Amino acid sequence: MKSRPACQDHCRGLSRSKIKLLLKLPSYARGSEYFWFFSILLSIPLVLLIILPLGRMITTPEIADLIFTIKEKTVQEALGRSLFTALMATLMAILFGTPLAYILARKSFKGKNIIEGLVDLPIMIPHPVIGIAILSLFGRNTLPGKLLAMFNVEIMGSLTGIVMVLTFVGAPFYVNTVKSGFENIPVRLENASRSLGAGMGATFFRVTFPMVWRHMILGAVMCTARAISEFGAVVIVAYHPMTAPVLIYERFTAYGLKYSQCVAFWLIIISLLLFITLRLLSRERRDR
Amino acid sequence: MITLSDVCLDLPTFSLKHIDLSIPTNDFFAVLGPTGSGKSLLLEAIMGLMPITSGTISIGDKDINALSPERRNMGIVYQDFALFPHMTVKQNILYGVRYHDLSPSSVSKRFDLLVDQMNLSHLLARYPGTLSGGEKQRTALARALILDPGILLLDEPLSALDPMLQDDLKHLLKSLHQEFSTTFVMVSHNFSDVLFLASNGAIIKDGTIEQTGTIKELFEQPNSPFTARFTGMKNIYTLPAASPALAAMVQNNGNRPRAEHGHMALRPEEILTDNRGARDTCCAMEGVVTRLISRGFFYDVVIQMDTVELTAQWTRHDVLVKQIQPGRRIPFFVPFSSIHTF
Repeated sequence: MKSRPACQDHCRGLSRSKIKLLLKLPSYARGSEYFWFFSILLSIPLVLLIILPLGRMITTPEIADLIFTIKEKTVQEALGRSLFTALMATLMAILFGTPLAYILARKSFKGKNIIEGLVDLPIMIPHPVIGIAILSLFGRNTLPGKLLAMFNVEIMGSLTGIVMVLTFVGAPFYVNTVKSGFENIPVRLENASRSLGAGMGATFFRVTFPMVWRHMILGAVMCTARAISEFGAVVIVAYHPMTAPVLIYERFTAYGLKYSQCVAFWLIIISLLLFITLRLLSRERRDR
Repeated sequence: MITLSDVCLDLPTFSLKHIDLSIPTNDFFAVLGPTGSGKSLLLEAIMGLMPITSGTISIGDKDINALSPERRNMGIVYQDFALFPHMTVKQNILYGVRYHDLSPSSVSKRFDLLVDQMNLSHLLARYPGTLSGGEKQRTALARALILDPGILLLDEPLSALDPMLQDDLKHLLKSLHQEFSTTFVMVSHNFSDVLFLASNGAIIKDGTIEQTGTIKELFEQPNSPFTARFTGMKNIYTLPAASPALAAMVQNNGNRPRAEHGHMALRPEEILTDNRGARDTCCAMEGVVTRLISRGFFYDVVIQMDTVELTAQWTRHDVLVKQIQPGRRIPFFVPFSSIHTF
């Protein structure tokens, strides 16, 4: 009996034209073809897992329902609140996270690993725990809570509380991204700037910032994304005023899947528009 | 005059130890050392970018320890050029102007002069990412020199360039030093670059200065086997010489070693195939060629001379004409002035 070439066994499952192409390739090239083929094959399930449910959710609601939903004041307010609080949280992360990221990127000191671990902590712990932790510190019966109350600052059930929670969950994404951006900039560029007479501040704004702002945008996108989608921690600190994820949850538990899908649709669309805009803004020029 | 007195700098993994240096004003001074010897760190300490642990750095009578880098009136040009990638060549060159009290007319005059001298006029609108290594280096030099720094620190300025560009830049550096009244302090691991450029220098090893002096002194009178090896000597032997041939060489040499001398060394390029035209009395020696190592235009000829091996560097022409081959016994000559003892 005539034995089949060894390669044909490997190539089972490939199309006939693909097999012909592979047989013509030298062995090292065939190895590389297999590598890419199996890499793509293994990537598909994950891509489908993301696309299919989201696609289904976006395409299921009827246009009339979507229009009706977006006209609802409660929905508009919840979406606006989500957007506003997420952007405020991102602003906080930029304001306080940029210096922290710079210090972590540029300085070596005792306890640096602990600080880095603390920055990562919100990524790891369950989000309702974050809400509980914030309430246990700033609740109405605690000393910091009472101090804030003296200045009419309320954490529980307020926008301030939501922004605080969202900063907590989103900032690590910002700090880590910007830190790696700072690490990518050679210290020598900053040294050269200082040798030319610029102080630390001028060096930061004229040399470091123009080279790191794309990382800052990327970090801001990730922080906003994390913040806008936060539910677990927000629901503990502020069920009311409602953010979009809390409203989606409420609609789901009170009215069912169909009603929550319409709000979710608009949340996804707004998030997508925001992120695409930011990404376009941070595109690199190709003439440098 | 830049003076470093007992300067120490401690890092977790490396330290500069008790550095004493005097660099004359307007000198071209070289700090020489192998990779990892601390020469770039020394430059950054002079610049103020790395805070020293103890000691004093002064310019003239003025202690500059407490001055921040931007106030030391020094420029630095790095091996990798450190050009700002988001700025054009022109913006790079003019970067520091706003921080110095310079009149617009003097800046403009100096800018035109440097752009012309560095041949940068056609590159002014380009970004560093689109420049060649030589163009980047010229931009970095112009950026530093436009501010008329009292001291220009050069961190291995030639090592990132290909050999042809290195030659051009060496000539450029030399002419810039002659034209601008600036002290140049260059660190390098290449002694031949330094021979061409510098007038004084220091050899650094593991964060410690091994020897200072004029470049001629470093080249001709090394004070340790390390300096000797670093300045290109290959034949280094301990004294008293174990080999009868070496002992004879030392005995016949008018310039006999002093009691404290523990080593003798011969430069391979100073060993001659014949003594015609030699500038000094020569020791006539003999040995058997054991190896020929081609270095392109010349050969390293390894000769076994009684109990020791010796390397001579001879031209390809000499090797071919005198039919020098492994196994052949050949005569050779060592001028007395080439026998270094330390």
